[in-house]
Amino acid sequence: MDSLFFPLLVGCAVALVSALGVVLARRPIYAAMFLLVHSLSLAALFGILSAAMVAVGQVIIYSGAIVVLFLFVVTLLPSGGVELGPRGSRIAAACVAGGGMLVALAAAEAAGGIPSAVTGGDLSVAAVGHALFGPLLVAFELTAPLLLVAIVGAVVIWRRREPHPRTAHVTKVAEPRRLVMHR
Amino acid sequence: MSSEVLVLATSVGLFAIGSAGALLHRHPVAMLMAVEVMLNAANLLIVMAARVRGQADAEAAALIVLVLAAAEAVIGLALALALFRRKAAPDVDEAAELRG
Repeated sequence: MDSLFFPLLVGCAVALVSALGVVLARRPIYAAMFLLVHSLSLAALFGILSAAMVAVGQVIIYSGAIVVLFLFVVTLLPSGGVELGPRGSRIAAACVAGGGMLVALAAAEAAGGIPSAVTGGDLSVAAVGHALFGPLLVAFELTAPLLLVAIVGAVVIWRRREPHPRTAHVTKVAEPRRLVMHR
Repeated sequence: MSSEVLVLATSVGLFAIGSAGALLHRHPVAMLMAVEVMLNAANLLIVMAARVRGQADAEAAALIVLVLAAAEAVIGLALALALFRRKAAPDVDEAAELRG
């Protein structure tokens, strides 16, 4: 697997830098673009790790559907989605969470319990299909009602009329064509 | 440094970046993007585990995680847009109606 080290290094570097871009970009449109680079770099990493099926799924589902969904929402945002600055407590919590995980990684590395790859395993698309329609059949079938519930839930959340709007002055830009569910 | 340690370190680093971003942002869409980074980090680790064990089951699980991420993005973005309907510059800290 050592021949894969340098391609993996490049892919990991791109993934980390673009993830930093997602988090640190000031405008949501730039963050969405960094998310696109991030998901494509992860697809490349999956390909290098000989997970072809997951790589294709990453490109189609993540880059093709989720990032485009984010882009649609960003274009719907009023005034380009200007964000308020982070509070001090949020900065402290972010430092604790991020730093804690890096410390845990260093501890795992020092403990040395990270195994290396076995050779000869079957990671072909056919093997993934056998797993998907064999031991994982219930989980696979349950994704269908999950997606259905997500679709219905999104429509219900978007169409619901709020009985008492909390703020009086909602700008005209923030008010798209309102669809009211009759009830 | 072996390739497994490199991928593991990248996965943990991505999860740390994503969780820090989800805690840092007050903009719901930016927060959701950070959550997507966390999901991607977990998926990377699952795929690496599939390779280490030499079994394809974990890759199938990674595919299911992708579908889960799609459903999560749909609901999260609908909630974010519902928040934007009420206020031009929303703050996730202000949406506290479910607090008891």
